[in-house]
Amino acid sequence: MRFNQHLEKFYCSTLSTLLVLSVFLIGCGLSGCGEDEEIDPVTGAAFDATTILNDFANKVVLATYTDLDNKASDLLNAVNALNAAANQSHLELAQTAWKAARAPWEQSEAFLFGPVDTQGLDPALDSWPVNRVDLDAVLDSDQDLTSASIDALEDTLKGFHTIEYLLFREGDQRKAEEITPRELEYLIATTENLKAKTGQLRTAWDASGENYAGEVANAGTSSTIYKSQKDGMQEMVNGMIVIADEVANGKISDPFTEQDTSLVESQFSFNSISDFQDNIRGIQNVYMGKFTGDGQGLNEFVNGVDAGLDARFLTEVQTAIDTIGAIPDPFRDSITSHRSSVQAAIDAVSTVQRTLENDILKLVLDGNFN
Amino acid sequence: MKRCLFPFFYRTKNYEFGIMKSNHLSHTQFGMMLFCMLIVACDSDNLTKPENMDVLDKRLSGGETTVFDATSHAFSTPAPNLSEDGLAKHLDGDLEFEAVFVTVPAEVNPGLGPVYNNISCINCHARDGRGRAPTSGEKLTSMLFRVSLANQVDDVTHGPAPVPGFGTQLNNRAIYGVPPEGTVTINYTEGELTTSDGAKVYLRTPSYSIENTYQPLPDDVEISPRVAPVVFGLGLLEAIPEAAILALADEDDQDGDGISGKANYVWDVRKNGLSLGRFGWKANQPTLLQQVASAYHDDIGITTSLLPTESSAGQPQYDGRGDDPELSDEIMDVVTFYIQTLAVPARRNVDDPVVQRGEELFDSAGCTGCHIPKLQTGTLADLPAVSNQTIYPYTDLLLHDMGPGLADNRPDFLASGSEWRTPPLWGIGLVKVVNGHTNFLHDGRARGLLEAILWHGGEAEQSRDRVQQMPASDRDALIAFLESL
Repeated sequence: MRFNQHLEKFYCSTLSTLLVLSVFLIGCGLSGCGEDEEIDPVTGAAFDATTILNDFANKVVLATYTDLDNKASDLLNAVNALNAAANQSHLELAQTAWKAARAPWEQSEAFLFGPVDTQGLDPALDSWPVNRVDLDAVLDSDQDLTSASIDALEDTLKGFHTIEYLLFREGDQRKAEEITPRELEYLIATTENLKAKTGQLRTAWDASGENYAGEVANAGTSSTIYKSQKDGMQEMVNGMIVIADEVANGKISDPFTEQDTSLVESQFSFNSISDFQDNIRGIQNVYMGKFTGDGQGLNEFVNGVDAGLDARFLTEVQTAIDTIGAIPDPFRDSITSHRSSVQAAIDAVSTVQRTLENDILKLVLDGNFN
Repeated sequence: MKRCLFPFFYRTKNYEFGIMKSNHLSHTQFGMMLFCMLIVACDSDNLTKPENMDVLDKRLSGGETTVFDATSHAFSTPAPNLSEDGLAKHLDGDLEFEAVFVTVPAEVNPGLGPVYNNISCINCHARDGRGRAPTSGEKLTSMLFRVSLANQVDDVTHGPAPVPGFGTQLNNRAIYGVPPEGTVTINYTEGELTTSDGAKVYLRTPSYSIENTYQPLPDDVEISPRVAPVVFGLGLLEAIPEAAILALADEDDQDGDGISGKANYVWDVRKNGLSLGRFGWKANQPTLLQQVASAYHDDIGITTSLLPTESSAGQPQYDGRGDDPELSDEIMDVVTFYIQTLAVPARRNVDDPVVQRGEELFDSAGCTGCHIPKLQTGTLADLPAVSNQTIYPYTDLLLHDMGPGLADNRPDFLASGSEWRTPPLWGIGLVKVVNGHTNFLHDGRARGLLEAILWHGGEAEQSRDRVQQMPASDRDALIAFLESL
């Protein structure tokens, strides 16, 4: 959660006595406090985060979005194949392709900022719930179904969950012969629309497109968004905290504490557990600076200040992924039948969240960057 | 050398809360906030100089609700001084603020429309931030249009008179199969303005036409464009004592400074009478509770106990289901609490000499006549987090004539067609990082801060002229100051 008792330090020349209640703090007098000088608590030297920011922007974010866009292409091909011959094996291939595309999207939820938000792509790709009343009405209508006509509809009639509803309906019970021609038509149009959105997202970050990657990589220098490297680093940590919080206290907890399967994410495909794991893998990617390739991650910075913290956090993240994976499928049943495994997953993700908030964010905010 | 003991209660400075936007949080996960109390005893001549305190204080735009975050989460962080219960309630509200509504019947979030402007709170107020006008070819998502009949007022509220068949807001979207009320086309005419040192500034003037209406729109309809405003810091504004706002009013300009400042008095549903208006571009909402209920009602088509009649009642789009109110009082309450308790982001670079020069110019150009820097909140029942805070909102919450260039020519209660409420400026320098744009003013016509300043007219005309005549370095300093907010 957002619960970081973070202490910012003041340095002043006129300090004589300092009394701090509750938390140790390096304190100040007042004459220079406004200057806000901060020095790395351990090394005392400024840390150059250029490579971390650059690798985050390119080797993590852009790489994830590129993979998402490629997997969206694969999904479109699979849906077209299903349309060409609506048999069970084509349906299963399309279902597999949906899950494959879902993985990089869920991993990207560890950095839901920038164009995915400002260009309205997150709601267009991932709105929940599906407006099933309107979806039925569109299917019953005689309106043309194209990527453009889908685009004009509400976000609750497009994106991952609408496709999921059409492909899965409930778990793996969907029969190819149950899919109507009109549903196939809708499926193709909405998947084309999804592919257009993933392409837009990739272009928004790509150096050959709008190059948002550059805005992040050049934090503190030529970026028009991030005035300091610290702001860029804080954005990275914020993104990880938000998804850890959402998985621990929203995605897993809400259906679990309410005992309400209607609140389960990716409930049509029974893909919830993979979704949650991929969210935490997204944290792992940002922290380690990796996706398909390997770069410098936040761990380079953390390790230099506190190697013990780095080792502990890496373990906590892997434990969280494994503990979520130990929940028996489908998640919607386990919220009642395997409560202790669900609770263990909540606890493991909460541990990740707490370390991010209490330790890693604090290190970043205390850090002195170039 | 003087010796002093300086008790320094500087809570916000001493703990910072990184984030933010979350969904849900179980109550057990919160410990009590630590209020770090830093007591410094020291030798310093400087300690006796109040301006040093000022420099520190001025970072704390929202007093103890301030958060140190210049990332995309700058507007969407809970106030750091909330109690454990307060934080839990805030996070419940956060979840509801993000809830997406769908057509009834549905298991989750039914009741959308039938006519509406958007399907969730967050879809207009992205990251609790500022909306903008659509670019060419884009859908209208974070802007809407108020409509009313000219030269008439509503019989009951004495506010804008609803247009038969349309009400007081054009709902440009509808559930599938139901006709939206109409669409809006926006056109801009580019203009040019030259500063005293020869720099050119381009100003675009918008024009609007309502088209594709499901039934003919009467000829005498007044239209007012409104972009979604930021929603943080609002509890602090609600906690400013009414007397403090009224003390700033000078409706007939008796002090002769060319600036009036007029209180709006608007319909208060719960009171069934008039109250001081504080919120909205024309200060046409008296309380945040009513602001929230009105937004659900007018923007999403969701009824509440405060406004239990569907916005489409009496129109052919009305579903006649009799399922009102569609939203529980509990949700209305937590969403109200949510926008009352969002943190205000701290200022940056307050010790930069250019920023400090800009701050002086902001004052000497007369901007502080309406954009009052510093205010004190009073006590708001059940909201200790926003009570008794020293804040820097840069508003007086009053109406001012902004001249014909910005006029919408649609009166709203006591606000004339050219009067607007002074919008708060806190956080304005972070709109770009949060929302990815720098479009300002009620209709988003200004594409940057300088354009926004140069659109000021009416009571602000002298100030505008001073900015236009400034040397470029001063103008840059003024902008640097605004960007530090």
